[in-house]
Amino acid sequence: MFSKLLRKLTSQDKKNSKNEAKKRLQFALVYDKLEIDDSTLKDLQNDIIQVISRYFDIDKDSLSLEIERGEDKSALVFNTPILNMKRR
Amino acid sequence: MEGKIIVITSGKGGVGKTTATSSIGAALAMLGNRVVVIDMDIGLRNLDVIMGLENRIVFNIVDVVNNRCKISQAAIKDRRIDNLFLIPASQSDNKDVLTTKGVERVAKKLKKEFDFIIMDSPAGIERGFENSVVSADEALVICTPDVSAIRDADRVIGLLYSKSITPKLIVNRIEPARVARGEMLSHQDVLDVLSIDIAGLVPLDEYVLTSSNMGMPLVLQKESKAGQAFTRIARRLNGETDLPIEVPTHRTGMWKTISKKFGFTK
Repeated sequence: MFSKLLRKLTSQDKKNSKNEAKKRLQFALVYDKLEIDDSTLKDLQNDIIQVISRYFDIDKDSLSLEIERGEDKSALVFNTPILNMKRR
Repeated sequence: MEGKIIVITSGKGGVGKTTATSSIGAALAMLGNRVVVIDMDIGLRNLDVIMGLENRIVFNIVDVVNNRCKISQAAIKDRRIDNLFLIPASQSDNKDVLTTKGVERVAKKLKKEFDFIIMDSPAGIERGFENSVVSADEALVICTPDVSAIRDADRVIGLLYSKSITPKLIVNRIEPARVARGEMLSHQDVLDVLSIDIAGLVPLDEYVLTSSNMGMPLVLQKESKAGQAFTRIARRLNGETDLPIEVPTHRTGMWKTISKKFGFTK
């Protein structure tokens, strides 16, 4: 019983574990919402290609669209080689 | 007047959807409404056994949607509570057997015959969930105060919003003593994370298991704290919108606190 008592008085890890839970949850929920499903990403890619193609000839086979996640910021990165400028 | 369809859902399994459905359904019936509770968990039915109606099943919701029987043939009447009916799930069918179109057609009929139609959604966000929410006028999302249930609740809340349904939250299995010790997220913490209106707060309660053992409605156990909480939720759904949300508390006498500190009681 004495060791139990000692443990009770010294252990702090269980206490306030809820604050840890809350912090982790808030982060996870933000992070979860940045996830985008494949079909939406494909739609977005097609829309972007359409717009860019009005101004440039681009290589549609070697472009990429990605979401890059950082510690506190996330970025949408679209990368495409330009073949030609379109004369308007 | 047309009845109201309320879906009870959670994303995560095992957080108390079925208990909530049977309790809120029973409480609404005891308040004088004509109520049907429907088990939408095709292939894994449980609402019938929680309500103690498992040996009276003849037809089920799949039979109703596929026009194999009338609603009145599938709806089992509870003998203890007037005006409470259960339409069970099918145990043998695949969960993809229902379509949203079929459910919508039946929902229209149900609204003419009942004041409240409570749908017990299956866990998950697949077909069964879609079928449960397609005709819903209101949604109750239920979660327990743990990280996985809250995260799943957030996902479900987002899906409901995208269907133009504004859900309300039930926090279930609150342990006030642990909340007081900082071991468990309080309902306020949960609300900070989820930003949603609350429908009710339900404490952890031993009566939930024992009344399910007996197939007895929880709300008939007068002593049950969880039963009382579900009744209050039902009263709010029934129009008493200004009935305050009761926060589960624990009584700590001085002696209890001292003995706890020294490890005599848990």
